Amino acid sequence: MAAMEEDSGEFYLRYYVGHRGKFGHEFLEFEFRPDGKLRYANNSNYKNDTMIRKEVFLTPAVLKECRRIISESEIMKEDDNNWPEPDRVGRQELEIVMGNEHISFTTSKIGSLVDVHSSQDPEGLRIFYYLVQDLKCFVFSLISLHFKIKPI
Amino acid sequence: MANTEAEAVDFEPEEDDLMDEDGAADADASSSPRAPLPKLKSAITGGSTSSSLSAPKKTKGRGFREEVDAERQSRLSGRGFDSLGSDGGPGPQRSVEGWIILVSGVHEEAQDDHLQEAFGEFGEIKNLHLNLDRRTGFVKGYALIEYEKFEQAENAIASMNGGTLLEQIIYVDWAFSNGPSNWASRRKNMRPERTNRSRSPRRRY
Repeated sequence: MAAMEEDSGEFYLRYYVGHRGKFGHEFLEFEFRPDGKLRYANNSNYKNDTMIRKEVFLTPAVLKECRRIISESEIMKEDDNNWPEPDRVGRQELEIVMGNEHISFTTSKIGSLVDVHSSQDPEGLRIFYYLVQDLKCFVFSLISLHFKIKPI
Repeated sequence: MANTEAEAVDFEPEEDDLMDEDGAADADASSSPRAPLPKLKSAITGGSTSSSLSAPKKTKGRGFREEVDAERQSRLSGRGFDSLGSDGGPGPQRSVEGWIILVSGVHEEAQDDHLQEAFGEFGEIKNLHLNLDRRTGFVKGYALIEYEKFEQAENAIASMNGGTLLEQIIYVDWAFSNGPSNWASRRKNMRPERTNRSRSPRRRY
């Protein structure tokens, strides 16, 4: 199952979610770089002024697991054409390079599956919706175990 | 191997993040509230031109049709990211409170107890993350395990990598590394970031 993409080739991933509001630019962003570096940034100005920025090198084993999660989601087959556009409430960006494909998707924030179902492309958006949660979960575990912080 | 500076994680934003890359104290830098554009760009985020990658890619998505503002390019580039100290050499990196290993190929119906049983014999498991697939509710396929001691983690890897758990082959390896992985460091135009540079002097007014 998509073994070729998992094992070889270039790999890059960046996810961003954020908005600009009365607390300034609040966002969460992380990035897996080709050399294995994971970068994580979380800026929330609510209550206290904190910007968390962490980086750590991951082993090839962890990168491979990340590639597996992406391959199995089949997100690379999707297209953001009919997804809700980023709006005042917020935006999400997902950029992935894997094999010879490079996607850079943008959409609005997705509150729940209701938003997914009412969209023009529920099938594709659902894949995005769950993949993002799985990736966040993976990254939060890595960051919190390594640095002993609660990422959110 | 032990890293004595591991505890030094600070949550404070560094005020000298906004300093010019080389700390050049030019007059403009202090009058502008915005940071100058970083010289090191994020590996790929420089818009649609993925110059740092070799082969041409099939591209897809609205992200390629938008203007990439400077702010986006700078968010994840440059300095100011906290990391645990490292000698930069090869090998696993210690985390704040111990050593983390990744178990992959974990059966979707595995439970904490299964991993405790299989991995507890190498030492007390300080932390176990067995994350679930958000759609199915089953195990996503990996586990992250923390041991206090290097030897415990090393033994677990040596003994369990390629073994089976719930009749499924599992792979066990370190999670964190001291430096870039080989694949990327072989690339010719990949300039390693300076990791040992000294702190910039405090901003002078």
